[in-house]
Amino acid sequence: MDIIDSISQFAIQEPALFALIIGIIGAAVISGVVNVGAMLVIWGERKVLSDFCNRFGPNRVGGRWGILQLGADAIKLFTKEDIIPGDADKGVYVWAPIVASMATMLVAAAIPFGALHIGGKDYPLVVANMDISAFYVEAALSLMAIAVFMAGYSSNNKYSILGAFRGIARMIAYEVPMGVCVIAVAVMAHSLNLVEIVQSQTLWYAFAQPLGFAIFVIALITDLGRIPFDQSEAEEEIISGYNTEYSGIRWGLLYFQEYNNALLGSILLSLLFLGGWQGPIIPIPVLDIISPLIWLFMKVVIVLWCLIWVRASLFRLRIDQVTDLGWKWMLPLSLLNLGWAVVVGSYFA
Amino acid sequence: MGISDVIPVPVAIDDEIEKWTIFGQPVAEVWFTTTEKIHQIIEMGPIKNIFNWGRKNSVYFLMQPMGCCGVEMFVFGAAPYDSDRFGCIPRNTPRQTDVMIMSGYITRKYLPVFKNLWEEMPEPKWCIAIGECAISGGPFYDSYNIIQNTADYFPIDVFIPGCPPRPEQFLEGLINLQEKIKQRKDKRDY
Amino acid sequence: MTNASEVLSSIQSAFPGAVLDSRVESDRRLWATIDSKKILDVCKHLTNKLNFDHYSGSAGVDWIARNEMEVVEIMASHGAHKVVAMLKVKTPRENPSVKSLTGLYWNANWYEREIWEMFGINFEGHPELYPLLLSDQLIGSWPWRKDFKGYPDLTTGERAVAITTPEGYTEYRFPPTPAEVEAGTVVAERPKYPTFREREEREIKSDSEMIMHLGPQHAMVPGPFLLDVLVEGERVKKGFLDVGYIHKGIEKIMENRTWLQGIVYTDRMCYVASLSNNECYCGAVEKILGLEVPERAQYIRVILEELSRIQSHLIGTGEFLTLVAGVGYAPWQYMIIDRERIISLIESVTGARLTHTFVRFGGVRNDLPDDFAEKCKTTLPYIKSRVNEFIELFAQDAIYQKRMENVGVLSAEDAKRVGIAGPALRASGVAYDMRVEDPILVYPDLDFKVIVGTKGDCADRVDCRLREILESIHIIEQCLDRIPAGPIKPEAKIPKKVPAGEAYYRVEDPRGEMGMYVISDGGDKPYRVKVRGPFYATLQTLPPLLEGVYIADVVAIAGSMDGCPSEADR
Ligand code: SF4
Repeated sequence: MDIIDSISQFAIQEPALFALIIGIIGAAVISGVVNVGAMLVIWGERKVLSDFCNRFGPNRVGGRWGILQLGADAIKLFTKEDIIPGDADKGVYVWAPIVASMATMLVAAAIPFGALHIGGKDYPLVVANMDISAFYVEAALSLMAIAVFMAGYSSNNKYSILGAFRGIARMIAYEVPMGVCVIAVAVMAHSLNLVEIVQSQTLWYAFAQPLGFAIFVIALITDLGRIPFDQSEAEEEIISGYNTEYSGIRWGLLYFQEYNNALLGSILLSLLFLGGWQGPIIPIPVLDIISPLIWLFMKVVIVLWCLIWVRASLFRLRIDQVTDLGWKWMLPLSLLNLGWAVVVGSYFA
Repeated sequence: MGISDVIPVPVAIDDEIEKWTIFGQPVAEVWFTTTEKIHQIIEMGPIKNIFNWGRKNSVYFLMQPMGCCGVEMFVFGAAPYDSDRFGCIPRNTPRQTDVMIMSGYITRKYLPVFKNLWEEMPEPKWCIAIGECAISGGPFYDSYNIIQNTADYFPIDVFIPGCPPRPEQFLEGLINLQEKIKQRKDKRDY
Repeated sequence: MTNASEVLSSIQSAFPGAVLDSRVESDRRLWATIDSKKILDVCKHLTNKLNFDHYSGSAGVDWIARNEMEVVEIMASHGAHKVVAMLKVKTPRENPSVKSLTGLYWNANWYEREIWEMFGINFEGHPELYPLLLSDQLIGSWPWRKDFKGYPDLTTGERAVAITTPEGYTEYRFPPTPAEVEAGTVVAERPKYPTFREREEREIKSDSEMIMHLGPQHAMVPGPFLLDVLVEGERVKKGFLDVGYIHKGIEKIMENRTWLQGIVYTDRMCYVASLSNNECYCGAVEKILGLEVPERAQYIRVILEELSRIQSHLIGTGEFLTLVAGVGYAPWQYMIIDRERIISLIESVTGARLTHTFVRFGGVRNDLPDDFAEKCKTTLPYIKSRVNEFIELFAQDAIYQKRMENVGVLSAEDAKRVGIAGPALRASGVAYDMRVEDPILVYPDLDFKVIVGTKGDCADRVDCRLREILESIHIIEQCLDRIPAGPIKPEAKIPKKVPAGEAYYRVEDPRGEMGMYVISDGGDKPYRVKVRGPFYATLQTLPPLLEGVYIADVVAIAGSMDGCPSEADR
């Protein structure tokens, strides 16, 4: 107990330094967790999608499950030639993948990755527990669209510029309903803090406001740029969209961030609407401590699986249909949902 | 070549960096000689083997159906033969591919395009010639419009004969290419 | 019902002296040599009075011994009657020139451009005689003329040279070598024509427009061809096509192979439908030879052609699905998996997956294996249930309907006018099927429906294709029940030399009307083989369909046409 004592003493004497150290450790842990998680998501997508398509997927490297496939991909991408097109806007071109990874890290900083259940109390695992974290996370998620635009605009390629414009049009159309949905949740929870939102969910908000849940799911898929909303990189129309000119590790980074975002997005969905880490505590020593983590993990896996399911079974929408849906249906419906949340929320309060 | 070519700094400060020195040497020079050294070390040792292990297990090919063999290529990438098992998936942009599958006849009109696609691919890259046409002109050997000497234009690592070869042969060719990469016996010595 | 002799007498009475020579081969075929001054009037007469509303192509022939060239116009009707009129127009070999039919028939454009660049026959009144298939260094050497010296031209050792263009890009060109110039393979002084790029760039009117290249390498194209679209934002204003990236000169090569060797090349024309190509060529030759095909062989041919139609439609629809839904979409993989079953059925008979070379003059190469009927009886019901599932799936998919309905609509009149063929034509509601129009083999005895659509949009085209699979299965089942025992080859030996004569033979390719015009001069090689490919006709109609649609729709429209550029380029 000496160590804990001295740490707490240090924390009281030097609060600023202590916060800094905790922050750095947290950042390191979080980026590790998120990146490893994203790798697993990519691997999982390849395997699950293969399953949907009635084939095997990678199964040669790293045993019959092909676990090491992504390691091979990463090594290859790292050692590829780095091409920057002669006519590209070099600075922007180079910074786009970096901005993309910054965007995901910003999200990761404020998202609670679960909680530890110690002594009858939940201790949320979050680096920056801010008061408006729900809103902050939602805003930071859309930073990715800026990276997409940077990448597409700087490449000096016709496919890329179209992809970039599509990305921006889509982002603007769906960011608003998504924000309104988050507000509706916040109204019911009486807080914009994700931790408090989770703690306030005696009834999952997916049931309390089903309409909001549906809109949020659609807007989230749009934000993640997955089928049926992957117009910004629609491979069959505009080659590879905004990242057509990217090669090697720069492309790898952009590609990676999409999956990072998918992971974070599904965590956000679970937190806002699916009760987060709440669930019955498993009455077994050790397991009871991490049981909130297990619940959240299971929810996230299910959400991700559903995202892949959607990809395997839906057609891609056209860009005008996407914006049409966004402005003419999603936005009014999300406002309706907000009204519902206000009425119901104030009634129960 | 300036520093801004290799690390993400604005081009504008290139000149500024030129003036900096470290241990009495210009920074840029030190940078380049060190990276050169690192490259040499990589070339020598087991690190290269790890690199090649990665490269061998993740060869993305360019979706580029050209002739009859192109249909077999389509099937080769799809469920029945599932090239994804070997980590080999089709990509549409040459920038993100590692192997070019020459799947049919190359005509005089198409060669410039084809060559451009090849140059757009980042190193290290490999080329597989599939079918008689890509190897030697095949049934069209005496046509006025077909290029026969494809090997003069592209460093072809694997030739897969057949007209068209079966998708199983595609897989065999792919495995041969992987073996070549692993043993560093490919045409361009990666 | 009109028949060939009535058509002939009608022409003769309307234009006395216009018909220089004529031959009524049967009720359905009319061969006539028309005075070159009157050809336009005759065509107008045929179209307006006699319902010849289907201009189905034209062929050039170089009669070097007679010192003249011939252009053969192939005219048919969309269902009003079943006569095919082959109108020949003669022109001297020096400065050959005939009247262009582009004013009458929209789709004459490409056929005439092809004849011009291959034979050097000028078409008076053609709006844009630009090269179509050939690379620019071959223009002017008229490769399909009989005295073209580039044949056999072993290109080994020839190297393309890298040339830096004014914009700083590297291009590869083959300059004519002195030896080539001397031999006349490549002419040193080529006529100057604006390149495709230049013609296209003229169209850009404002800064907000740009030209996007979809091809020659693009996920959309099933083989190299260049579809450029002039876009303003997401809207397409105009489409341009450049083909010939895989022009192999099959028609020329076949003139230099024996009759039998020619079958090999028909395989490679459209590789997903090689059996119907085989059939088309062999049928034409059989017609010249006057061969009867034994009944069992006829049934075997029908069975295999229908099987090949099924697999072609499956892979065509599968490719279409990847275009509109992305490669992650699962059902297209199911289609490819199902197609493998059909392929293995075909393989069990022919021994090859794609290029079969199975049909022979007067018969087929080998008999069906013993367990073929059983295998069919297990596989076909399965495919049927799967296809029904696919049809249902697309009918229920709201996003699919939203994407495909009223996109790329081709009305029945337009479809007839532009000379499109196959399921793409039938989706517009025109029941035009060679199996009915020009029945061959045992098709007249079989019971099947011609599938037609209603609106002619993308959804209809795909739906037609899928429902055609069901019809094909129905045909195969009937054939398996009825197939008699007996020989599969004619008893007499097929002569090496085919007597002089000519024939035009049409089959229903999976992509539509395929015709082959074969001329024999009595030698052991064909004098001329002209292929009227269905996708050639379809491809030509693509640009006008694209005006005003979104970029995403371009992909859907092109995909729904089920392309096979190799057959278009030949
Ligand atoms: S090798 Fe044979 S199958 Fe392949 S492209 Fe050439 S002709 Fe076609």
